Amino acid sequence: MELCDLPAYELTRLLRQRKISATEILASCLARIETVDGRPGSTEPGEISDEDKQTVHAFITVTDDRARAQAMSVDQKLADGEDPGRLAGVPFTVKDIFCVQGTRTTAASRILANFVAPYTATPVARMEAEGALMLGKVNLDEFTYGSSNESSAFQPCPRNPWNPQCVPGGSSGGSVASVAAGEAALSLGTDTAGSIRQPAAFCGVVGLKPTYGRVSRYGLIAFGSSLDCPGPIARNVTDAAMMLQVIAGPDAHDSTAASVPVEDYLAQLETGVRGLRIGLSPDYFKVTYPDERGEYVQQAVPQEFEAAVRRAADLLAQMGAEIIEDVPMPNTRYGIPAYFVISRVEAASNLHRYDGVKYGHRTVEPVRDLNEMYRKSRAEGFGLQPKLRILMGMYVSAAQYSEQYYQRALRVRTLIRRDFDRVFDPNGKYRLHALLTPTTPTTAFPFGAVYGDSVLMQYADQLTVPANHAGVPGISVPGGIAADGLPIGIQFLAADYQEALLLRIARSYEKASEGESWRQVKPMVLQR
Amino acid sequence: MTEYEAVIGLETHIQLNTTTKIFCSCKADSWFDPPNSNICPVCSGLPGVLPVLNRVVVEKAVLLAAAMHAEIQPESCFDRKNYFYPDLPKGYQISQYDKPLARGGYLDLPLPDGSRRRVRIHKLHIEEDAGKTKNEHGRRLIDFNRCGVPLVEMVTAPDLRSADEAAQYLIRLRQLLRWLGVSEADMEKAHLRCDANVSIRPKGASYLNPKTEIKNVNSIDAVRDAIAKEIERQIREVEAGHLIETWTLEWEEDSGKLRKMRSKETEADYRYFREPDLLTLYVDNAWKNEILESLPELPLERRQRFIEQYGLPDYDADLLTGERSLSDYFEATVKAYGGDPKRVSNWMMNDVLRILNESNRTAAELKLTPEHLAEILKLLDGGTINTSTAKSLLEKSDSSGKAPSVIVAEEGLAKVSDDSAIRRVCEEVLAENPKEVQNYKGGKVTLIGWFVGQVMRKMGGKADPALTRRILEELLR
Amino acid sequence: MSEFIDRSTFDHLVQLAALELTDEQAEYLLRELNNQLKAIRELEAIPLDEDVPATWHGVPYTPQISPALRGDDWQPFERPQDILAQAPQMENGYLIVPDIPHTTLE
Repeated sequence: MELCDLPAYELTRLLRQRKISATEILASCLARIETVDGRPGSTEPGEISDEDKQTVHAFITVTDDRARAQAMSVDQKLADGEDPGRLAGVPFTVKDIFCVQGTRTTAASRILANFVAPYTATPVARMEAEGALMLGKVNLDEFTYGSSNESSAFQPCPRNPWNPQCVPGGSSGGSVASVAAGEAALSLGTDTAGSIRQPAAFCGVVGLKPTYGRVSRYGLIAFGSSLDCPGPIARNVTDAAMMLQVIAGPDAHDSTAASVPVEDYLAQLETGVRGLRIGLSPDYFKVTYPDERGEYVQQAVPQEFEAAVRRAADLLAQMGAEIIEDVPMPNTRYGIPAYFVISRVEAASNLHRYDGVKYGHRTVEPVRDLNEMYRKSRAEGFGLQPKLRILMGMYVSAAQYSEQYYQRALRVRTLIRRDFDRVFDPNGKYRLHALLTPTTPTTAFPFGAVYGDSVLMQYADQLTVPANHAGVPGISVPGGIAADGLPIGIQFLAADYQEALLLRIARSYEKASEGESWRQVKPMVLQR
Repeated sequence: MTEYEAVIGLETHIQLNTTTKIFCSCKADSWFDPPNSNICPVCSGLPGVLPVLNRVVVEKAVLLAAAMHAEIQPESCFDRKNYFYPDLPKGYQISQYDKPLARGGYLDLPLPDGSRRRVRIHKLHIEEDAGKTKNEHGRRLIDFNRCGVPLVEMVTAPDLRSADEAAQYLIRLRQLLRWLGVSEADMEKAHLRCDANVSIRPKGASYLNPKTEIKNVNSIDAVRDAIAKEIERQIREVEAGHLIETWTLEWEEDSGKLRKMRSKETEADYRYFREPDLLTLYVDNAWKNEILESLPELPLERRQRFIEQYGLPDYDADLLTGERSLSDYFEATVKAYGGDPKRVSNWMMNDVLRILNESNRTAAELKLTPEHLAEILKLLDGGTINTSTAKSLLEKSDSSGKAPSVIVAEEGLAKVSDDSAIRRVCEEVLAENPKEVQNYKGGKVTLIGWFVGQVMRKMGGKADPALTRRILEELLR
Repeated sequence: MSEFIDRSTFDHLVQLAALELTDEQAEYLLRELNNQLKAIRELEAIPLDEDVPATWHGVPYTPQISPALRGDDWQPFERPQDILAQAPQMENGYLIVPDIPHTTLE
């Protein structure tokens, strides 16, 4: 097995045993990138060739110099007998929505195509401080607006390593693609409506959305400020726990980073699920969406997906967990419309600062006055998806509509939160430790299949977005392979700040299913 | 001919004198700094930054709210006010909209006729300042140094009735801000900013007519002048049969003219919504009481007390409560003196204030302590020294820091009241100045003052002047 | 209640948002906006009791878990020049932008 395919926990172990060096690890990753990634995304890509359509294109910017310097530093520390850090030698990628000092930080948008960040986001800084090697900034939907990564202004955009004719999911498409393709062991993504969990499910990797406020948002270019969560993406649960350990915790730069002590996520990881109560909800086995006439239709998730979830439930039951059926989560279906409103209001406001005055793109066209400069710079810099969100945000937050849309959506959010409060209440009827659900209602779809139809694309997030409204943590882990050869993800959800519990349950499932044949199948891109 | 009354409301923004800005750790005061040198990712609105609230901003705002008799809210929230402007880097200002830090409040303005005008405020809220823009040849130059400086906004009800009252309100507000130590309140440095809303109506009416807004007034005099001009203009317009439109006017200091800025169309829709990057601000009773322990007796309250308790005239009370350390000094002196407070007041208003102004100090910085001033007055009362010695002792005690009684002893400044000693010197002076003696006897009786002066000179200023004068008059008979 | 956004409302929104669009973009965006409005309409049908409050953060921030406010200590940013290096146009330390239209009459 190549070094780049090893789990992070293996890499640090071998490194500390001086069996491998950080420089060797890095070389392996760079070689993998060379082999499978193809050219990085660019704002002037020219034609997308047939060859392009066979490669992953996770990256916007490869930061190999930085990684090389970090690798040398780690190796030097080891040689000097110093502690090289808890993530020493572990290669990771960063969703290009995080500011990293001295690197191009684009948000996958023309409007920041040449922005070089003067400071580093807290989660990235914490990983680098623990000896991790930053390979580069990976691609995403523009400003994280999307569920397929197709909307990026940097093309070719990332492609699913399992089948490059399919999307990797979004918005953390580049993050999951880089990890699934063995280019990096870890990636730092963000989850606002499922943007870590959904692509993790599409690409057969582990994606964790921590509790809102568990990980600092300082340096995360904001989309939905009350929803955004930075989180780890990895190929296994232990790696995800290791990464969360490093990035979690309060930060003087973030007023919403809660002062909750960070547990030892690794300590309880292998303790199993005996006595834990895990719930299954009928509201998560179906999707409700508007059809062409705007009428609401309910549709069960495909049989394979429910089967994967139930198979997981069986395995957990065999290990001593109690499975509780028919747990009602009646407000799940309202997650998407409420999200449409809340996230757009926040996004429109968060995008106000891109005005061509002090950073980012300013039009070179001649302008009569300041207003024209604003309009042209923003029109040229923003793609259609940001424009759509800005306009919707302006509309629903206008004074005359605010009560009807925005205030109402905030109250619907309360209902969604109450669903979780009810089922996780230790004195309530269900007293669950976790919910077990499918992550998405489909496997990764082909390019162009739904892009442009914002409603259908958005409804794909129906099973993930409630956790963002409620703030609770959720994790998606690989749960099988569908008949179309693409991964199926299953999701665990738990109460506030119960990441340790979540990871423990996910680990149990991972261990119990490690012999299953579908785990032997590799992504297409790695089979060559 | 209709008589009109003016209806004026003032919108004030007060820059708090904290060390750092409201949401980041840059300096709050960068008045003398080169442009764009006092900035960080947060206050320059870089992608990905977040605000973190400065505790002392809340404390100073609470103090001010209490001093304005406003009700401090146990829970208040921040909101985004969204609009595009180049000196507003985030494209929104973090302010407080529907849940401000304090509600209600007033300041009782003493009017010249002895009455008081209660000027009410609706609420008091905190927000961040924008940067500065200046015009130059069809371009705008932007400086972010001031972005994020903490501001308190207070809007008065339209309770003021003249340009003078408006000026008085600002004077009293400035006094209060300095008294509390929450702002330097220097209008010329934009620590205190004011926009005026002006309308007129027939005297006795209770409805409100359309108002104009006056901006860019950078001193209290400018506020007074601009408002006065606008009242005149509105009266002229109304008399000519025109309607007053809700214009925004800019005051041009150099020409003393008002210029129309832009029509005030329907209020811009700022699309206020709760700031998701900040949590609800809780000011519980424990914290509030801790802050209010430092709430001093307020200047207008003290002014009233000085009038009632010490029997001081309005003028004295006003002067002596103009500035907090002066006022503390006065009171400490009165307590140490134990005699007529008016006497202390006279000495303070005439002599002590002069010393302070000349040396550009506050009363707290005087080396002449209140106890020492009291001692000088007692020495004078007791006849140990005369008036001119007393005055010179002020300077001597202030420069040396020594107690006046010590200086009197060291320099032998005690008043000489010994009849024979004075008599001897008087005789000397008369003997040395025969021409003046002749002139005096010839009718120029005002020369007595000169003779006294000569005696004082010879006696090093220590002679009892009244006694000296009696002896001279006797000798000259 | 507004069923859908008409073209003139849309154009006003575009102006408020400081954007400008081609006809093709405008058509697409207007259509998408109205599609989403249909989905949002579901919000109105949801039964909401009077006393259901708004939730601004899903996780309740109790005083125990809320970070303390910041102390008033000056910490200058080490490299303001890195911030200014991102500016499209600077002169003598100032950021330069075109003038703002305003009328000065009277």
